Amino acid sequence: MAQIPMGTVPKKETEKLKVIKKPNKGVFQQMKKNYSAYLFLLPKLILFTLFIAIPVVWAFVLSFQDHKVFGSEFAGLDNYIKVFESEAFRIALKNTLLFTVVTVPFSVISALVISSMIFALGKFSQSLFRSAFYLPTVTSMVIIAMVWRWMYNYEFGLFNYVLGWFGIEQINWLGQSGSALWALIIMQCLIPFGVGIIMYLASMGSISQSLYEAARIDGASTFKQWLHITIPLLKPTTLYLVLLSTIGSFQVFTQIIMMTGGGPGSATETLVHLIYKTGFRDFEFGLAAAQSVVLFVIILIFSIIQFRVLRHDE
Amino acid sequence: MKKVFKKSALALATLGLAASVLAACNGDSEEVGNAEEFKGKITIWDGPRWPDKDDNKFHWLEAKIKEYEEANEGVEVDLVQVPWAEMGDKLGVAIAGKSWPDIAPVDISGSAVSIDHIEQGVVEPLDSFLDKDEKADFYENALEAYTYDDKLYGIPNSITLHSMLLNLDLFEEAGVTPPENGKWTYDEFLEAAKKLTFDRDGDGKTDVYGFSTYIMPGYYEAWPFFYKNGGSPLNEDMTEFTFDSPETIQAIQDLADLKLTEKVAPETHGGADVGGTFQAWANEEQRTVAMQPWATWAIGAAQGAYPTNFAVAEYPTGENESSSTIGGVGGWIMFHQEETNKKAAVADFMKFISTAEEQYNMAQNYGIFPARISASEMDPFKDNPEMTRAMEMSDQVVMLPRHPEWKKIDEAIQAQLQLVFNGEKTAEAAMADAKKAVDELLK
Repeated sequence: MAQIPMGTVPKKETEKLKVIKKPNKGVFQQMKKNYSAYLFLLPKLILFTLFIAIPVVWAFVLSFQDHKVFGSEFAGLDNYIKVFESEAFRIALKNTLLFTVVTVPFSVISALVISSMIFALGKFSQSLFRSAFYLPTVTSMVIIAMVWRWMYNYEFGLFNYVLGWFGIEQINWLGQSGSALWALIIMQCLIPFGVGIIMYLASMGSISQSLYEAARIDGASTFKQWLHITIPLLKPTTLYLVLLSTIGSFQVFTQIIMMTGGGPGSATETLVHLIYKTGFRDFEFGLAAAQSVVLFVIILIFSIIQFRVLRHDE
Repeated sequence: MKKVFKKSALALATLGLAASVLAACNGDSEEVGNAEEFKGKITIWDGPRWPDKDDNKFHWLEAKIKEYEEANEGVEVDLVQVPWAEMGDKLGVAIAGKSWPDIAPVDISGSAVSIDHIEQGVVEPLDSFLDKDEKADFYENALEAYTYDDKLYGIPNSITLHSMLLNLDLFEEAGVTPPENGKWTYDEFLEAAKKLTFDRDGDGKTDVYGFSTYIMPGYYEAWPFFYKNGGSPLNEDMTEFTFDSPETIQAIQDLADLKLTEKVAPETHGGADVGGTFQAWANEEQRTVAMQPWATWAIGAAQGAYPTNFAVAEYPTGENESSSTIGGVGGWIMFHQEETNKKAAVADFMKFISTAEEQYNMAQNYGIFPARISASEMDPFKDNPEMTRAMEMSDQVVMLPRHPEWKKIDEAIQAQLQLVFNGEKTAEAAMADAKKAVDELLK
């Protein structure tokens, strides 16, 4: 009897695998077979279709229309031409990009550092810090913005009060073009990235201790273990968090409307705030939809780039 | 019975006008319905007004609704309570989704409903429901504020205007005499502002400033100062931006310089903090600013929630030698209706809450001027010299341009004004930039 070399699979087995990989049943037959699973998914699917899929498709359709309350007209690419010709859009894009480029790396790196520090603690302390850092995530941005607005207040805000101790002149944080956007960026950076911390902690827990033991035997310091084991193995989590916070940063809105209204001048105008104004102040829904589609494409491009750079290679 | 007769007479009177008056946008003729035949629900949105003993700020409209429902069997009026701060946004969303109420309190030159909406038929014209005699009881400028393309698109219920509010305690502390009869020149105002800026506790820091106001899209407290030399934002036929005229540039720079060079205004002067600015004038804990311009609601607030020893003055005059102010007209509008009988019923309810008695009631309790002449003649402010003083300024009111793109024009101007008040641009450079943006919108 001929011996089968190791690592190869008998022909019959390969055929079986092929059958599993490429089922000859149609999609509907598969669905019929697993109908109970689809039944469980159905409520969410209906909600997703109603509140996400249809509005997204409708926004795309709307972007080619000159929207009127009664009887919209087809406008071709007019809205898109307006978007690219608009100086307000360019300013908003520039501000949003600056906001994203600074806040995303800061949030993700700070989440990584904070969770690494928490992970080394005991169970009780870990839970305590985990809740403390997650708290801002469940707090409404409206409330956070109001508190920060007070902290930035020129006359009786916390920051100017502290500056006063050192004899430094008060700063009109939100009132000057030079400082307003940076004030919002600082605020975003200092709000703990709760989701990031929780996810990093969960991922750290799943890294095999044997890797660290092996490294310790090889004489690697704690920092080197963190650098060469923890960080590389957290790469999929990092990728997810970078994507998540990039999308969030591109959609910055609440703090703008609550704290500066896009001003002074256009210093803190961002894309979503501009889309909001175009839609609900100027009632130009077609143009607002086109701006949204352009924002979607920008986020998509950024996501693809990040995905390619940070992809976890098996 | 009398009521039925009155309604029928109104219906008959307006019937003849119907075909010609409302040959609406698409050339369709429109029937005037019969309010008596309508049975169903009318939805009205309103914001909080003055409180009753239980602090219910909707009691006035709730009582009127009850009264109306009792007199009109089968008609149900549904009141949706909307905070004033959310009214514009909520109406915007409602219009976008075609889920508007039947009636809402809207200034059609304001932010919630635009001229575009009128052109698109979102707001119903009301000429069929108000005859000439009824219209004659309203102030002309109040009707004008709701008139577009020779049609009336609302029933005015209040007039407001801006005036200067002076904290008399601070005037006394600084030894400054308030202007006689509230009239003064810009130089006199500046002189007073200088004296009213002082260090109370001798720590080398200014505790009280003479003047402050804010700059924000949709708010016009500072604007009468820009008119003091005779300027206006657009020319008469609204084809050209004119806020870059030398007299306006000088007026803008003068007001910004109160902070930048004269140092009689705080750093927040010209910022976007509306609430903070008011608190600095009215809050007993603060009182760090002696003079601020506000709409008439602030007079009510200073007599009620923020008791202040204050006086009402006019905006100071410049080269123009006469004072100007900006005014606004509030009122009820009717949103698009499919059914003619319902339309008549909605109009009937709108008139029911806009009578002279109701406007008198509102003037006394809510701090606004009536839009009806007969309500003013009842003298609602006979015991309120501050409101009387403000009311005397109504002939100085300059209305904002009624351009369909006004909201964008306004934002383009106000964004540049903020930079002037920040000291980041001169008035001349800022208005040159505003001109570029506004001229694009006027094309």
